[in-house]
Amino acid sequence: MRDVALHSSRCHECEGELRRLERLQDLVTEAINARTAELDLSRIWPAVETRLGAVRVSWWQHFRLWWEEQDATWWLRVPAVGMAAAAVAVAFTLWTNHPEQVAQTPTVAPVAAVDNSATIDSLDSTANAVAVLNEPETNTTVLWVNDDSDYGSQGFPP
Amino acid sequence: MSLSWAPVLLMLSVTAGAVTPTPTAAGSAVDIRIGAVLASNNGQEFDPRLVSLHRQLSVLFPYTSYRLVKQEKQRVRPGGKVGFDIPGGRYLLVISKGLKNGRVSLRVMLIAGTRPVVDTALTLRNHATFLVGGPRHKHGVLIISIGADTVPGTAAAVPTSAQ
Repeated sequence: MRDVALHSSRCHECEGELRRLERLQDLVTEAINARTAELDLSRIWPAVETRLGAVRVSWWQHFRLWWEEQDATWWLRVPAVGMAAAAVAVAFTLWTNHPEQVAQTPTVAPVAAVDNSATIDSLDSTANAVAVLNEPETNTTVLWVNDDSDYGSQGFPP
Repeated sequence: MSLSWAPVLLMLSVTAGAVTPTPTAAGSAVDIRIGAVLASNNGQEFDPRLVSLHRQLSVLFPYTSYRLVKQEKQRVRPGGKVGFDIPGGRYLLVISKGLKNGRVSLRVMLIAGTRPVVDTALTLRNHATFLVGGPRHKHGVLIISIGADTVPGTAAAVPTSAQ
């Protein structure tokens, strides 16, 4: 292009030819723009939209589309699927067993009440320390004896 | 000090009053249950023979492993005594002092060498269990369980010092 421009600046015949071609290009562009402006595009999208509405997408396709749109990586999807399957299994089990459970009368296993209550009447000790502990539910009394000085970080009583 | 001196010292102590029969003591025989539990933080073992103590041990102590290392059961009359060699060299002496208001009256002595570390008198509900803990053994501590069960039908004509 550089050589053409240099030659046309020195050759009057070629320069005239180049100007005529440029004028022709301008006329063609104007003619195309004028015809394009006359087109009515407002009816194109409604026509397309009516056809899209007629397409039926199954629930499975919906699910696949939703799944593909998720950002979770595959290793996150596996536990999600597992939990969903477990939830379905539990729900099914509860649903199938519910009538039988209603029919049963609740049976409560007898719990043996443990009472280890003790009363300390006297206590003498030569140990470094003695502590009396009590477990409230069964009233169990514990006499904790620190017979050496090596309890350290474990504390006394433990 | 040799452990063999312990019974001698105990007899001296007992002679001072422990074995002397108390007029109020009923004559029922009592089964004394003594067990030595090694509690430690080595492992996660819980001896199934300790199931009756599971609640107490898990609530009261911070250890992860409980193993029954020794247990004995002896029937004694009021004034009778039960000796128990504790692993590690200590000695436990339990003396039955009969029944008092439906409860078992006991004297419990924990002896290390010739020294009585603990000397306590207590009354225990029938079938109840009392715990003495603290002596170190190996990599843990020992918890001694002491239980008493009255024996029905043994109330009549019971000697005051028997074992």
